Amino acid sequence: MSSSSTATGGATLRALSDDLAAAVDRAAASVVAIHARPRIPASGVYWRDGIIVATSHTIRREQDITVTLPGGATGRAQLVGRDGGTDIAVLRLAPVPPSGPLAIPERAVTDSVRVGSLVLAVGRPGDDGVSASLGVVSTVGEKWRTWSGGEIDRFVRLDLAIYDGFSGGALVDATGRIAGVNCSALARGTPLTIPNVTVDRVVDALLTRGHVARGYLGVAMQPVRLTRAMAERFGLGTGEVATRGVLVVMIEADSPADRGGLLIGDVIVGIDGGAVGEPQDVAEHLSGERVGTRLELEIVRGGEKRTLPVTVGERRPSRDAKGDRQDPEGRGGGEQ
Amino acid sequence: MNAAGVVAAAGVGGQRFALELEALAVRLRRVTARVHTRGRGRFSGVGAGVIWSRDGLVVTNAHVVPGRRGQWPIVELFDGRSFEARLLARDAERDLALLALERSELEAATIGDARSLRVGEILVAVGHPFGLGGSLSVGVVHAVRRGDAEDAWIRADIRLAPGNSGGPLATLEGSVIGINSMVVRGLGVAVSAHVVEQFVHGVMRSAESASP
Repeated sequence: MSSSSTATGGATLRALSDDLAAAVDRAAASVVAIHARPRIPASGVYWRDGIIVATSHTIRREQDITVTLPGGATGRAQLVGRDGGTDIAVLRLAPVPPSGPLAIPERAVTDSVRVGSLVLAVGRPGDDGVSASLGVVSTVGEKWRTWSGGEIDRFVRLDLAIYDGFSGGALVDATGRIAGVNCSALARGTPLTIPNVTVDRVVDALLTRGHVARGYLGVAMQPVRLTRAMAERFGLGTGEVATRGVLVVMIEADSPADRGGLLIGDVIVGIDGGAVGEPQDVAEHLSGERVGTRLELEIVRGGEKRTLPVTVGERRPSRDAKGDRQDPEGRGGGEQ
Repeated sequence: MNAAGVVAAAGVGGQRFALELEALAVRLRRVTARVHTRGRGRFSGVGAGVIWSRDGLVVTNAHVVPGRRGQWPIVELFDGRSFEARLLARDAERDLALLALERSELEAATIGDARSLRVGEILVAVGHPFGLGGSLSVGVVHAVRRGDAEDAWIRADIRLAPGNSGGPLATLEGSVIGINSMVVRGLGVAVSAHVVEQFVHGVMRSAESASP
């Protein structure tokens, strides 16, 4: 029925294809399926001995979590902790299966993922084995902060399809080494990768403290423009940032900002000597290590500039324990 | 992901990749037909078909040739020659149709076996998306259903459009391992070649037993 013309495929393409299939094979030993929500399961990566990393937004129930392992066996897992800010959840596999194909993935060299790098997203959205999609890294940027305040060490955007249940799966290079954990919930559906360094940091925090410490003031803010005359009068300089500030529009009762004497209507124009032009600039000063330390807020109140010391509080972990909370816009004003 | 992406990512090897892909596209276009219907009433759009045998059998999707009264399929070959075809059989469940051209000595596709595919392996598709002839898409095998060697469907991470319907999904060696059939949540889904072979054999057997 079929003709028997000789098959002479391109050798270079075939070599790449074999490499990609081998890369998927390799990554498959570290990628598990997490059953913690109705319908489609999500993916997870076996990160350390007994420890699985998943995305927080795909963990909808905190009990009765099961895991499908690479060999097809089912294991049980307990939720150790989750960080809504970076969308990372940590699960403990208990008991750890005595043997089988489960393996901790080999890491890609830091910074090996560049714009244009050929990469595979490997997921396990169920019991039918591992799944893959191919694409390239489309953006590699600086450290950034998610809409819910999580700090991610590099902005890695992907030009590939993140299919249902792919969140929590591995981003691997063409040799099968892992570069991070994929997530589609941090930037309105855009496929992103949380790099290894961030995953490690959050896993450490969740394993030792059960949550990720994050500084907290208890204010809602929005950017405002100052007139050039005001900027000059308050000695803010003459640059573009000098004519911007953030207006305090809400203060939580008994929050660090409240205790520090901040009032609604205050305009924050600087912190610790640095300029503040938008809510994000305030957030920059609220990393975990600033908890308990003092910030010198430069504010404009009643037409006068003054300095107000405020001690940074710690955001209660229950505030982001929901994990699946979605921000409709992900931008605009900020609540810190 | 498109072919340009693969080539760009290949860096210094890019030129060789481009040439190999081009050669593959040329080979597949020669065994890929353009299929549409002519006659009364409402028409389906343009789809693709695969020349399955030298003696004029062409496989396409059932949804490309609806089989309405007063309509007949037209098959256009890569060289521009166009023929009326006989609709031998339709199987809506497997979304397959078998057409016959009154021709012989056609260049037929090499048929492969999807059951040996590996996840991540590169696949290509040729078709007529948006009516554009001989378009090439590049992707990878998305998933292989474990413990089900007879899986009837191939799931591919490949960008397909309606005009790919009925066209070939092929390996880098140019072996046709499936007939592109639909897009489900962004995934390209094709009928496995072994299922197509069963369908074609079934139709031919019943045609033989029916003839005097």
